[in-house]
Amino acid sequence: MAGTRNYDFLIKLLLIGDSGVGKSCCLLRFSEDSFTPSFITTIGIDFKIRTIELDGKRVKLQIWDTAGQERFRTITTAYYRGAMGILLVYDVTDEKSFNNIRTWFSNVEQHATEGVNKILIGNKCDWEEKRAVSTEQGQALADELGIPFMEVSAKSNINVEKAFFSLASDIKKRIVDTQQPQAQQQQSGVQVGGAGGMAGGLGKNCC
Amino acid sequence: MATPTSPAAQDAPAEPPSPPSPTASFYDMSDDEEGGYSTIRHSKTGKGVKLLYTKSKVYVHPSPSAKDNIPGYIALIQQKPGLERTVSATPQSSRIHAERNGLLLAWVPESSLGSASDIYTKVELADGDSPPKQSYLVPPPPITTAHSSSLGTYAFAIPLTEIFSILVRPPSVGWWFGSVIINTRAGDSFPALFFHDSECQSTIQQRKKLQRESLEISASGQGMFWGGDEVLRWLKRYVTVERSVQEPNIYLIEPSEADKLSFGSGGKPTSDNVRNVLEGKAKDHPSPSSRNKDAQMDPVMQALKSARWNFLEKMAQVTTFTRRTAQAVAENKNLPPQVRRLLQNPQVQTVSDEFDSARLYLARWAMGIAEQSEREKNQRMWTAKDVLDMEDSELGEFEIVDAEQMSLADKRKPVTLKEWNGFFNSRTGRLEKTPDEVKERIFHGGLNADDGVRKEAYLFLLGVYEWDSSEEERDAKMNSLRDEYIRLKGAWWERMVDEQGTLEEREWWKEQKMRIEKDVHRTDRHIPLFAGEDIPHPDPDSPFAESGTNVHMEQMKDMLLTYNEYNRDLGYVQGMSDLLAPIYAIEQDDAVAFWGFVHFMERMERNFLRDQSGMRLQLLTLDHLCQFLDPKLYDHLQKLDSTNFFFFFRMLLVWFKREFEFTDILRMWEGLWTDYLSSNFHLFLAMAILEKHRDVIIDHLKGFDEVLKYVNELSGTIDLPSTMIRAEALFRRFQRMVEAIDKKSNFPIPTVRQRLPQPPSESTTTRPGADGKPRQASQSSSESARRSANLAVIASGPGPGSSSSKAGASTSGRERTTGDAIAQGIGAEKEKVISPELRILLSKELPKLDKHEVREHGGGVGS
Repeated sequence: MAGTRNYDFLIKLLLIGDSGVGKSCCLLRFSEDSFTPSFITTIGIDFKIRTIELDGKRVKLQIWDTAGQERFRTITTAYYRGAMGILLVYDVTDEKSFNNIRTWFSNVEQHATEGVNKILIGNKCDWEEKRAVSTEQGQALADELGIPFMEVSAKSNINVEKAFFSLASDIKKRIVDTQQPQAQQQQSGVQVGGAGGMAGGLGKNCC
Repeated sequence: MATPTSPAAQDAPAEPPSPPSPTASFYDMSDDEEGGYSTIRHSKTGKGVKLLYTKSKVYVHPSPSAKDNIPGYIALIQQKPGLERTVSATPQSSRIHAERNGLLLAWVPESSLGSASDIYTKVELADGDSPPKQSYLVPPPPITTAHSSSLGTYAFAIPLTEIFSILVRPPSVGWWFGSVIINTRAGDSFPALFFHDSECQSTIQQRKKLQRESLEISASGQGMFWGGDEVLRWLKRYVTVERSVQEPNIYLIEPSEADKLSFGSGGKPTSDNVRNVLEGKAKDHPSPSSRNKDAQMDPVMQALKSARWNFLEKMAQVTTFTRRTAQAVAENKNLPPQVRRLLQNPQVQTVSDEFDSARLYLARWAMGIAEQSEREKNQRMWTAKDVLDMEDSELGEFEIVDAEQMSLADKRKPVTLKEWNGFFNSRTGRLEKTPDEVKERIFHGGLNADDGVRKEAYLFLLGVYEWDSSEEERDAKMNSLRDEYIRLKGAWWERMVDEQGTLEEREWWKEQKMRIEKDVHRTDRHIPLFAGEDIPHPDPDSPFAESGTNVHMEQMKDMLLTYNEYNRDLGYVQGMSDLLAPIYAIEQDDAVAFWGFVHFMERMERNFLRDQSGMRLQLLTLDHLCQFLDPKLYDHLQKLDSTNFFFFFRMLLVWFKREFEFTDILRMWEGLWTDYLSSNFHLFLAMAILEKHRDVIIDHLKGFDEVLKYVNELSGTIDLPSTMIRAEALFRRFQRMVEAIDKKSNFPIPTVRQRLPQPPSESTTTRPGADGKPRQASQSSSESARRSANLAVIASGPGPGSSSSKAGASTSGRERTTGDAIAQGIGAEKEKVISPELRILLSKELPKLDKHEVREHGGGVGS
């Protein structure tokens, strides 16, 4: 690492959900505050970084974005294990993507670290005339899965910021605030500053 | 100050001894103002300007094609001195002198001279030792201070006071024409001016004269006299021209003390240097003159250093030179867009404060600079022998010199339609050359981009047409393929309308249709062919019903749906639309493009299997290849848990489609389709890309995520021609190493090394054989278990073991013992082992999958 450290905590998040629900768009909105309607499909895996402030601490979010198609799942699940928070994204105009959330969820249960924070995200909530999944349905599923829920729109910049902040803050509460500082690294894999990292064998260290 | 007419000259604070920095108004000047200003200026003087010196046949080369070259004159002209000028900005007397003289260095295209052309010729051929006594007046050229001139031509005239330096490349074997590049004080550069000395009357005349005067001129090592010498000589009459000690190709014009120091004796941006600066170690070596040292530092180093201090905020406070460098950095078109954004958008900068990424980009940027100066130093042509010597010099330690010069030497022109047609018998339409000859031509030269040759040639390269077919046979084949396409298309139409099949099938079908719909609308939409929505969407339920569609996107959807039906075992998978788009863009006929795509997919099918076994095999092969060719880099990647080579996933999946521009992709793929050297040549391309960045990776990347990010962001920054040449050099080197090892293996003791692990008898194998034959045979369940085991090996990153132990891990215990024995036999010397994965790289046979394999692992509805 370079000598400078400009954050207090590093938190790794992961975006999953069917292809075309807008994972990359949400990420682009959050990390660069921009939106491109005609995007490209995500191939493989990539991540973006944004540092935010939570309770006076600088928290660096490293957010991993994955290809949505089921076919690539053997590759993408390898990344689940390093994530401290997972955003399960569906498209409120695409019922299928909503129905698949259960599959995604069980994938998370199977491959991610136990106790990983999750949030259910219904994207494209600006597109009322095309809506196929009601807010109530979304909330009901979230309640059933026992995770928070939020409808967002990357296009209209609704709630995207809030969703990421809320997840990050939950993670910080879970890991940092409830544990003895000395035990942090071994027990949770969260990093206070510098090294360590993305478990799952596919990578470590931060960027 | 900057220019005699810059209104800001009066306001600028004096900053001696630094050279003037560009002022805001300098940039703010709109095109209109600029135009107006030169008119006013000339109308004031009322007459033409005085032509002091000029030289003809100085060309601008706007493109690599010689037919685009624009001939012109370089000229030193003088406008009527200082009428409109009241303030002199700097105390340097010679500069004032130059300004008073109103001297401008200009380039004007021949075509724009009109009646003045006689005067230019006269002045050019005048005895050049002193300026002509008589005043030759010519119409004033437009004054421009930046090459992005509003005039749309390359013509320029720049006050000498505005020139910061001139980069001079004398003619050499590698660069046929000598050239000069003028760098302005504002940090801009004009396009290179090439001196076609053999056409230039004055140069020919001057050469003869010099030869008469001194016979040993050319033998004295001074190099041959050329047009650029003459230009420097003109300038020296009026201004101080100082050759940079550090970069001998750079001539500084009226350098300030700081400039002299900057270019004086500082260190070059070696990677060590860069690292030290970036990591703040520069001050670890204090010396009595350390302050002085700072000042002497190369501008690159200063820029880097200031970056370290605090990237943007402090940028303005350090020396003007650095500021100018920073400006040039920000505007440099070669800079990765991320850095440009970083430098240009202070808000992004403060929001993310990503010093770490800045550090990497600067390192990469510095690497580019170091490379460039290295290139300029080695201005000679690489011969095949040089390359051989270089590669043979050391097998272990890897260092392949950028072979860009080779591309100049290899005058490999693209195959034109005319040449292509010449390959075939005009009567029968049968190929009269061997397929290998044609493939060699295409592999090295590519196909002409504009004359339509690709349309025909792609069908051969992809295997739609047989190489030995006659025209008649091809016509017949195409007719039946067209019919077949219509039939296939009709089949899914029916399915769609009648909702045939099981519920599961119907679900799958609906899902795939939606997926294709979504993906086509985000595939290559920046290409004019696929851009825009000019027809209403046929399906009101589509998410794109409101935005509409266009005919080419609709064709794309049809073809992909047809393929989804045609290859039900695999079905449509994301990434396929990327593979189809270039073929369709060339053929622009859905039936033809479809069959081209089908053949392309035979080769690419393995990339899309549900269990990802094909991708894993390729990533594993890349792992072996890197270990084999560049152990040092491999060691580093191993430390970073990056030997899964997952950061190449995207590149391999869609053959670099996301890393290069569309036009480059066409050139690359047509080369890859030839299988000229290897049917897996794309892995050598990947290696070539990796090698190019090895030093940055080794010196600066500290974790898997950094490597992934770094490699992902190479997208759009990779130069294709040099990458292809490097890849070829890597292949040749690989081939020789394998041969050498095979020979060595014939000696008694190490023979064990050559014996490849035998597949376990109870299960059939998909591992490539030692004979380099492609994988074959069907899968058993134990085989898929092996596959997942293999994934684990790759995903967790191999231990310190060599490829032999890894190969062992994926096969039986008996073999692992063999592997261990091999490893022990090799001992500490860490010999090269040719794994089956590596050996198959020497094969030119297509890595096609068996149909059973696709059925079992495809993941489509049929599997």
